[in-house]
Amino acid sequence: MKRIVYIASIFMLLVILTALFVFIKVYNKPHTDVKASASDYTVTVENIASDFSQNEEEANRKYLDKIIQVEGVVKHVDIFNGYSTVTLTDSKDITKTVVCNMAVSENMKTVALQEGQKIIVKGICTGYLMDVMLVKTVIIN
Amino acid sequence: MRFIILIFWIVVINTSVFAQNKYFTKQGYISFYSHTPVEDIKAENNQVLSIIDISTSEIAVTLLMKSFEFEKALMQEHFNENYVESGKYPKANFSGKILNLEDILNGNNKIAEIMGSLTIKGITKPINIESKVIIEKDTITLKGKFMVAVADYNIKIPAIVRKNIAEKIEVSFILTHQPYNR
Repeated sequence: MKRIVYIASIFMLLVILTALFVFIKVYNKPHTDVKASASDYTVTVENIASDFSQNEEEANRKYLDKIIQVEGVVKHVDIFNGYSTVTLTDSKDITKTVVCNMAVSENMKTVALQEGQKIIVKGICTGYLMDVMLVKTVIIN
Repeated sequence: MRFIILIFWIVVINTSVFAQNKYFTKQGYISFYSHTPVEDIKAENNQVLSIIDISTSEIAVTLLMKSFEFEKALMQEHFNENYVESGKYPKANFSGKILNLEDILNGNNKIAEIMGSLTIKGITKPINIESKVIIEKDTITLKGKFMVAVADYNIKIPAIVRKNIAEKIEVSFILTHQPYNR
């Protein structure tokens, strides 16, 4: 009889530990690692900005939450509150822009960017205001 | 005579600073904070669009819900998918009027009283906001906070996490506007 209680309590303890482990694992689920993930779409500033300005709803369906690799020209770099934002534009049409909120790990690289420089970045698309917005953006090239 | 010179300078300074009617920012900062004994939740958005038209005292602020970044990925997922349904309602808007803009531009007051309406999840509610105003060179910065009741915007929180999320969320903003000349 004692043995049954003993086995049962060990079993219970294991169940509780597993549940706790799963809970902590789920609770601390990491953010998408943009750098390590493959991009869903590879576009230029011109492509994506036109898609959004022509039909925002359709573009939302296509691009939202997706990892987008964008090629463009640096228009300006803003630094505020420890965060940096890079505005990319098209080499011909400067009204088309993508605003990239940079990942904190990219701050050093971002500061070194020059206006007019051609770069390729990768980030998660969050939508369209006056520009296409990317977050957690990393510089690829 | 001195008085006339003074008036002259006020006019010169005012016109040089406020020659523009529209001031705007694309990199405004808005964060929200929920405090409960169980846990604190904070999210930040650095891509807020805000425009002030000083000729009409109007202000308009727009942001993307998905641009809010949380410390925990799970919270961000729940926020977007369950609470604000950002796939269906991608934007939140505020539009309003600065009631005492003239006093502020004259330098007589540093606290703006803003009356307007806030739209979240497709629901629009009137709101009054007080904001500090900092005017430096040619920038106008609004800085302040206000409270938003979760229930006002039809945001349903399941019973199991009700203790984790505050009924009223504190929203903070720092919006540094520059002359709009593009």
